Amino acid sequence: MKKFEWIIFGLLIFLLFIGIFSIYTASSTRTGDNFIFTNYYIKQFFWVLISMFVLFLLLKAPNAIVEISIFPIYIFTILLLILVLFLPEINGSHRWISLGPINFQPSELAKLFTIMALSKLISKPFLNDGQILFRSFVITIIPVVLILLEPDLGTSLTFFVILFSILLVSDLPKFYLVLIISPILSILFSFSIWIFIAYALLLIYILYRSNLDKVLIGFAVAINTFIFFITPIFWNSLKDYQQNRLLTFINPMRDPFGAGYQIIQSKIAIGSGGIFGKGFLMGTQKNMNFLPEHHTDFIFSVIGEEFGFFGCAFILLIYFLFLYKIAKSIIKIKRKEYRYVSVGILAYITFQIFINIGMNLGIVPTTGIPLPFISYGGSNLLINVTAIGLILKYLNERSIFA
Amino acid sequence: MYKKFTISDYIGYIIAFIFLILFIFVFKLQIIESNKYKNIAEKNIVRIQTIYPTRGEIYDRKYRPIALNKPSYNLYITPGRIADKDSVSIFVSNNFDIHIEEIKKIIHENRYRSYQDILLIQDINYEKMVIISEQLNYYPSLLFKAEKVREYHFENHFTGYTGRITEKEYNTLKEDGYSINSTVGKTGLEKYYEDILRGENGQQVLQVDASGNNLEFFKHNLQVAPKNGDDLILTIDNDLQAYVSSIFPKNKKGSIVVMDIETGGILAYISKPDFDPNLFTGGISTKDWNELISNTDKPMLDRVIHGTYPPGSVYKPIMATLGLDEHEIDPKTKLAKCDGGMWFGNRYFKCWLEKGHGRLAVENAMKYSCDVFFYDLSTRFSLEQLNRYTKQNYLSTRTEIDLPGERRGFFPSRKWYIDNYGKYVGILGHKVNLSIGQGEILVTPLQICAYYAALGNNGVWKQPHLLEKRIEAEHTFKNVFEEKQLPISEETLKLIQHSLYITVNERYGTGTASSIRGIDVYGKTGSAENHMGKQTHSWFSGYALCDRFEIAFNVFVENGGHGGAVSAPLAGKLISYYDGIMK
Repeated sequence: MKKFEWIIFGLLIFLLFIGIFSIYTASSTRTGDNFIFTNYYIKQFFWVLISMFVLFLLLKAPNAIVEISIFPIYIFTILLLILVLFLPEINGSHRWISLGPINFQPSELAKLFTIMALSKLISKPFLNDGQILFRSFVITIIPVVLILLEPDLGTSLTFFVILFSILLVSDLPKFYLVLIISPILSILFSFSIWIFIAYALLLIYILYRSNLDKVLIGFAVAINTFIFFITPIFWNSLKDYQQNRLLTFINPMRDPFGAGYQIIQSKIAIGSGGIFGKGFLMGTQKNMNFLPEHHTDFIFSVIGEEFGFFGCAFILLIYFLFLYKIAKSIIKIKRKEYRYVSVGILAYITFQIFINIGMNLGIVPTTGIPLPFISYGGSNLLINVTAIGLILKYLNERSIFA
Repeated sequence: MYKKFTISDYIGYIIAFIFLILFIFVFKLQIIESNKYKNIAEKNIVRIQTIYPTRGEIYDRKYRPIALNKPSYNLYITPGRIADKDSVSIFVSNNFDIHIEEIKKIIHENRYRSYQDILLIQDINYEKMVIISEQLNYYPSLLFKAEKVREYHFENHFTGYTGRITEKEYNTLKEDGYSINSTVGKTGLEKYYEDILRGENGQQVLQVDASGNNLEFFKHNLQVAPKNGDDLILTIDNDLQAYVSSIFPKNKKGSIVVMDIETGGILAYISKPDFDPNLFTGGISTKDWNELISNTDKPMLDRVIHGTYPPGSVYKPIMATLGLDEHEIDPKTKLAKCDGGMWFGNRYFKCWLEKGHGRLAVENAMKYSCDVFFYDLSTRFSLEQLNRYTKQNYLSTRTEIDLPGERRGFFPSRKWYIDNYGKYVGILGHKVNLSIGQGEILVTPLQICAYYAALGNNGVWKQPHLLEKRIEAEHTFKNVFEEKQLPISEETLKLIQHSLYITVNERYGTGTASSIRGIDVYGKTGSAENHMGKQTHSWFSGYALCDRFEIAFNVFVENGGHGGAVSAPLAGKLISYYDGIMK
């Protein structure tokens, strides 16, 4: 265990305990001088223990076992994502599988194993660019489509972040990333023909200058043109409430009583915390139940209200040190596949932190993405800790594969 | 030489950049704008307020009121502002008819709804409101709101009533925008048309400071207006309804239904004894409730659709039609001689007329309502045939009137007899009895009325209904109801109609008490023996035609005596009254 990254591990443990502590206060309610506590923090504590156990198992497990389990579990996860669509709705979507007291999101598992499967497939030697692109596309699009059907827009976006980050550090020429981003931009711009034409001209120019294969350029142009025509048709085929949901996703203030209301309340809670906060257990916004999901998606606002600017800055600092330390050590991982996996994990955890805190601060759309390691939630915690465990494992064993 | 950037460096910079953005926004919220948010939080001024829609009102066919909303003052409590639970409970309990423990229970149940207003007392009169308002300084958790409650303009069974949502209803309805203070239709039209009457909630975000000034913190249009419920225009005629209600014999139970033949729209709908649905406004008192449910005359029972009774002789046209259309008899066929009854096996079945009717053909058998004719006729059909044919005439099947909980009625089958009387039950005797609408057969008065309306409407059966149209803002929606065909041939229909006519309009017919000069009244009496009392149930059903209107009616008096003597005169009165108001 000489090469074990104690600092990363230590920061992880620290974050987990900040989580339990925050859940303790976030799920309490004050009525007069009395406090009512829920047992969420105890449950979270048990989940931390379970996660630690899994993490140690992972560190001890022979690499071969991890290797051969990637594709079977990836396929199993895809099956779960199909299964979940046929289960009854919980809170208006088909995201959860209920196992007794535990609600489990297959999309959590899908993130991790998509990263692993993707990294394994595109790190094989002697692949040409087309093969890498094709493999990335196939491996990613299946879970993305299934998760969009749930529907869970936020989580499907995570997959694009993962794909993009891994391709960014891969050997693929960076021009190809234009191919991945351009369809997304095409969707956005297809609502105005003039903007789309300007965008299309620009795109063609970039592609022309890129010295890419003519066939690929043709493919890119065809895809984008196709999207330009299909998007309005798809949009009009959506029901009113579906259109509304998408528009509200982009601009929560469209729905001041739903998504917008939460953001208003979250901003009030954080803003009213001021420099020093209102003190442990003393958050007033939290107590009045203005804020939904205190102990899950909006836990950051409780921290902000009770511990103020210092509390928030401290949390940001710990997260930053943790992620920065991982980023710095990635260079030490020499094997391509492991490096891709680590970058993918780092990207999605960073993305989730950004989206969640950004949502609490009212600067990004509301999605059901919890704050990694701190929000209440068993399966989410387990997957995140396992993901960090993987990086630790790769760092631990790097000498063998160097 | 310069240091070569590694992947780790790039990723590190990206992460640093992301956290810088987050840090800047945290700084902005908690340092720069902190005071603004502290203000809002301290005054706790941002709150969603639901704006509830006004419930649709109910009018009669001439747009006269049946159920309207009237202003009322309601007392609410805000659990988060309660200073002393005991003193506020005592205060409310001293001033209103509510037990102290009940108030404490409401407070306890809603203790987590700190800043929601919970409805305590409804429909407080103005004087009391003013007196109590003066003392509210001491009880900041209490507040009055001017709202609206239902007011029903007459006693009836079809409007039903509304009431405060129960915890159980709330749990199933909260997804649809109901709150813990909501009022929902509990019975009758209020329940059946709840979705139409209710409307849709609106919402607004309130952002005022302690002195009521708008802080204009959120410069968005944070209001969604409620959509009020639609008004219902019924087919009921308030004048006829009131008149029919007034002529029903005092201290008797029963029902009267009057229906427009052409549309199936119900003009009058009474069930006696009735009750005042206003009792339920603002919650019925325990005393009133106990009185209602302990009354052995069952005033809460809607006899028109919730009561089922043996029809007696009003069932006979169905037997006659079956015999004619299946060609077991023709119009001239005379059946067994009536000498006051007839023997079947070892049982003697009596005719209602002890001295007997002699041998009759079908028309006169209808006119005099001779039982023996139908006893004999029934022997030519199987029980299953009778069962099926009854159902085909829409008896023992729901009419699907627009009211909740309609009863289906009953016609026995062979299987039913075997299940209930054992394997060796003699079906014949039961069948003979059923042929005159006696025995196990049960129908609702509404089914009979709909059947006679169809006889008067060339055999076209109309679904009975109360809703004429609904009015949403300036749009009017007419409701469409079903129509079906009775299984009856044209010649048979003519003959049945003629026999109903002579029953009323020829000497010695059983229904002559309902005949009216200038109007063609068709009808059939019924006097059904029953286990509820010594007297027979008195039925009279039929229809009246003239160039101004075509209506069908059913008059039913529980244990009233003979149909011809008790119910037929009531029918005559209501027809001539209706004739009067239609002139």
